[in-house]
Amino acid sequence: MNDNDLHSIFAQQRQRDHENAPVWRSELLNRPLKPQRTSMRWIPVSLAAACVIAMAVFLADSSNQTPRLSELPPLLDSPPGELFASLEPSFTAFEAPSDFLLPTHLNLHIP
Amino acid sequence: MERALADQLETLHADAFGWALHCCAGDQARAEDVLQNAYLKLAQERATHDGRSSFKTWWFGVIRFTAHEEFRRLRYRESLVGRLLAFFIEEHHPAPSRQVEKDERNAELRRCLAQLPARQAEVLHLVFYQDLTIQEAANVMRVGLGSARQHYERGKARLRSLLQPDSPHE
Repeated sequence: MNDNDLHSIFAQQRQRDHENAPVWRSELLNRPLKPQRTSMRWIPVSLAAACVIAMAVFLADSSNQTPRLSELPPLLDSPPGELFASLEPSFTAFEAPSDFLLPTHLNLHIP
Repeated sequence: MERALADQLETLHADAFGWALHCCAGDQARAEDVLQNAYLKLAQERATHDGRSSFKTWWFGVIRFTAHEEFRRLRYRESLVGRLLAFFIEEHHPAPSRQVEKDERNAELRRCLAQLPARQAEVLHLVFYQDLTIQEAANVMRVGLGSARQHYERGKARLRSLLQPDSPHE
């Protein structure tokens, strides 16, 4: 069996296949784009838009929640004064509440 | 779609179907699907001819790639139930391709080609059936010329031995 024999065998097969081939229809080439593909193309764009909107909402919300320092209400209304004002009287003048139980002559007077 | 391109496709339609049929192992229904999907790729401009090779070579490459895509899709999609169902349907309602295939020589050639490695069968089909050169066949198959020539020689020898009436493979 040489190349010519192979050619003739393949030619027979070709003839048979051509007989069984579907009819050429030019409308196959004019078919519109698949809708799935069109919608798939918009997925990244819509995702990016959604991210941008979410970021904008988050930033706007967070800026509203942190007031400025100047806008804070005053914590202490009273004017600043001496921190240990009660220590002003002399330590020697201190009288304990139970001093009256002691005899008077035993009162100690520290100079 | 340009008119010139449509004319070229129409001219190649029958041969393109023959090539799709080969890529689908003789399954006529699948070959029609593959060819239709390949046409769809052109219509949607997912495949465009850049002029680096002849139109026929490029177009056959598109069909081959589409057939491989379809094969992969089927392989993953087909469940055991699906295969059983297909077997049942085929058993009781023979496909039209089986009914029309009266030419014994034609069926025998397909059987013998199916026994060859895929590359060898492809190059033989492209050279003997489609009248392409080995270089053009190599372009369609996306292999080097040397590799295609090797597949061609080995495939031819093997096919001859399979087609011989006194062949031990028969």
